[in-house]
Amino acid sequence: MEPILLFAVLGLGQGALIAGIALGVVVTYRGSGIINLSTGAVAMASAYAFWALTTGFFGLTLPVGPALAGALAVALAVGVLTEVAVFKPLRTVSPLAKLAASLGVLLTLQATVLLVFGVQPQQAPSILPTGTVTVLGITTPSDRFVLAGLVVVLALVLGALYRWSRFGLATRAASENEQAALLAGLSPNSVSMANTLLAALVAGLLGVLAAPIVQVDSMTLPLQVVPALAAALFAGFTSLWIACTAGILIGVLQSVVYYLSTQSWFPSDNGNAMPGLQQLLVFALMVVALYVRGAGLPRRGELVEQRLPAVPLPERLLRPALLSAAVAAAALVVLPFDFRQALTNSMIGMVIVLSYVVITGYVGQISVMQLALSGTAGFVLSHLSVGWGIPFPFSALGAMVLATLLGVAAGVSALRVRGVSLAVVTLAAALAMEQALFNNTSFGGTAGVSVPPPRLFGIDLGPKADFRGLDGNEPSPMFGFLVLAVTVALGLYVAHLRRTGLGRRMLAVRSNERAAAAAGVDVRAVKIAAFTISSFIASAAGTLYGYNFGSVSAARFTALAALGLIGFAYIGGITMVSGAVIAGLMSTEALLPHALDKWFGIKGTWALLFGGVSLIVTLIANPDGIAGAAHRRRTAKRARRAAALTGPPADNASAVGSPEIHLGRTPADAKEVTP
Amino acid sequence: MTVLSVQQLGVSYGGVHALSDVSLEVGEGQLVGLIGPNGAGKTTFVDAVTGLVAARGRVELDGKDLTGRAPHVRARRGLARTFQSSELFEDLTVAENLQVTADPSTWWTTLGETFGRRPSPNPAVPEALAALGLEDLTDASAHELSQGRRKLVGVARALAARPRIICLDEPAAGLDTTESAELGRRLRAVAGAGTALLLIDHDMSLVMGICDHVVVLEFGKVIASGTPAQVRTDPAVIAAYLGASAVQPATASGTSAGGSAEALTSTPETP
Repeated sequence: MEPILLFAVLGLGQGALIAGIALGVVVTYRGSGIINLSTGAVAMASAYAFWALTTGFFGLTLPVGPALAGALAVALAVGVLTEVAVFKPLRTVSPLAKLAASLGVLLTLQATVLLVFGVQPQQAPSILPTGTVTVLGITTPSDRFVLAGLVVVLALVLGALYRWSRFGLATRAASENEQAALLAGLSPNSVSMANTLLAALVAGLLGVLAAPIVQVDSMTLPLQVVPALAAALFAGFTSLWIACTAGILIGVLQSVVYYLSTQSWFPSDNGNAMPGLQQLLVFALMVVALYVRGAGLPRRGELVEQRLPAVPLPERLLRPALLSAAVAAAALVVLPFDFRQALTNSMIGMVIVLSYVVITGYVGQISVMQLALSGTAGFVLSHLSVGWGIPFPFSALGAMVLATLLGVAAGVSALRVRGVSLAVVTLAAALAMEQALFNNTSFGGTAGVSVPPPRLFGIDLGPKADFRGLDGNEPSPMFGFLVLAVTVALGLYVAHLRRTGLGRRMLAVRSNERAAAAAGVDVRAVKIAAFTISSFIASAAGTLYGYNFGSVSAARFTALAALGLIGFAYIGGITMVSGAVIAGLMSTEALLPHALDKWFGIKGTWALLFGGVSLIVTLIANPDGIAGAAHRRRTAKRARRAAALTGPPADNASAVGSPEIHLGRTPADAKEVTP
Repeated sequence: MTVLSVQQLGVSYGGVHALSDVSLEVGEGQLVGLIGPNGAGKTTFVDAVTGLVAARGRVELDGKDLTGRAPHVRARRGLARTFQSSELFEDLTVAENLQVTADPSTWWTTLGETFGRRPSPNPAVPEALAALGLEDLTDASAHELSQGRRKLVGVARALAARPRIICLDEPAAGLDTTESAELGRRLRAVAGAGTALLLIDHDMSLVMGICDHVVVLEFGKVIASGTPAQVRTDPAVIAAYLGASAVQPATASGTSAGGSAEALTSTPETP
């Protein structure tokens, strides 16, 4: 019994950090209706700043007091920047776009920290008393109690502030009905700014104080937002008191679970403790929270114009597909080996983004899990082909079917969860799968498991095939051709889907579930179909990943990588196949980052920074993405040409009806839609 | 022949009875009006009939029980509706909006389309557009339309399913007097072709002018039911619209509900 108690007390430190971030999440949500994924990253930024200021990283070593002030100033600066440059311009967009914007902030902060401080985790000095106390017969460090007490005090102070101050009244009014608050003379911008700053301050302070306990790390600290989101879900994104308690309890539970997993009676992973139990716990808690509190978030009366990016009907399919396929095929033979590899990576990236085009672009649901499904398919492929000796097309198909079934099962259980809640819970699922499944050596493992090359009728289609490109190096263009064929087929399918009845029903569900049901659309069936198609595409990408490197490793399918891919998908244009092509070219180790690295010496971290910033810029300036903007330009140009051909508009006024209705769409367009 | 038969429909939100024991019937080709002051439960009635709100009581279409069925099942059986705020599918063109309701969707057709089989164009779409005079909007994007046009497209979308009955939730709100009269003429034609219609609207000259039968709701209860002429002179109805003190016709002067009350008591021009 005593060790459990000890681990429970030790978990208070982690719990205090989670509770602090949860408080930040709730405060931001009350102030601006944004689920701020970057709250954990704020804690990371100020923890790094404190570490740097006290250890002389910048050349001068400050005492604890000024260093703490400096770290909090960093948190506040991040808060001001986020509010002014991101949240304020996006005040009236849909909740999903706001979530994506906060993802942009997370990626930007993480890339900045990586660029300034490097990847090495740091050990921060402790401010809190380092002594021990003896409670109920066990001796524990006293700082855990101090930290937990501090968070509780913070929650009480914040609660009092909201309850009794004029600022609190304004916040509550604005979160009830932003429009009415505006008419009553309250500025949503200043309410939001004040709350964002408060949230940054709380998260930053906890980041500094808890850093000595949890390590200053640019990979784990930003993701502490996931357990914090679980706590915030329990709190219904409103109650500070519940958020704080739930956060501390989650930390304690995680610590106890860790202790239990080290016991001899507990199932182990080849002699080591099972990995990822903490993340599984958080995911399970989120499911419980959604069940207890209902799937919906409290609705804020906001000034929202719920415009999602447009989904234009693809005009011609075959010609551009064949043209780009021919160019890519030629490039696979002609290009030097490193660019050949980058092109293959790009195409696999395109396939995985295609799965987001279906689930997010067409149906409007963000599922962070899709990359984890790719990973599952990759690992299953390895088991099927190495362990069971199943030959190529069947091993890949089997892996895809299994991973798709997993995706469909997740989709079916998430049918009632939609929008932002779905994004949050699938983020937790992705993290749990990364830690518990992929890092488990009996299934995956960080070292990677091998995948034999694909062979069909005795012909090697893998990257080590005999047919080499012009420069005679690996990878063989043969594998590139295989990837190209899959990419073109899936791209054509997704574009074609937009023209079919199922595609129309998906868009009907995306714009209005109630109206779709009343129009005879089986909303559940459409969503399950979308999850199936999207998971199948993601699984295909996973098997290609496996063949590409001859092995599958956990590092490729992390939750952070998934968030990055969603960012790239938004930048490219998440509703269009051409957007997926652009996103694929930008993804990790693809053509664009490779070219930047090779020609300009710009490393991947800069690409991450660039990705984070351009995600924010895209959401503000050009929500349809690069592909959407290109499509608008094309149609506008064609409209001008059509107008020039048919003469003054007076001639066809009778046929066109009211002119405003035909903006951006001409009779010429209509003809090409159905060739 | 009765198309829609609703018996003892009741909806409660917590302790509030939004609807209590409302029964009505709509026959083939019949146009029934459902009126009542704001908050009388008209939209709740349509939500309950179409299955968007859980309700007590019984809903039958062509004699078959629909109670407890999901909204999309009711819609496919021929129970269509429009929404007060149109609720068009913003990302689709007008024609595509109609196709969503018009095209049968089975596993089989979906699979066929996946492998490139083009379904034959559904004549219900151009027919429905023509019935409401919207042919010129076929390829317009839904989000580019004016408020009045959106209403009409909403009606066309319901009609494209070739339903047995359409519940129209305030189709004339936002239309001017001429447009409203034009809509009335078109609705009469739709009913004449055999589709039953249940019309909710605040435009009394429209409702009284085109309906065969009118049902009046107040506080979730039916307070009157009959031909427009009977309902117009019903003391309970006049009281509901003008307040109890106005039952003596002499004192009926403009009040807050004046606009509709005047239309209620004056003789409408039949279109």
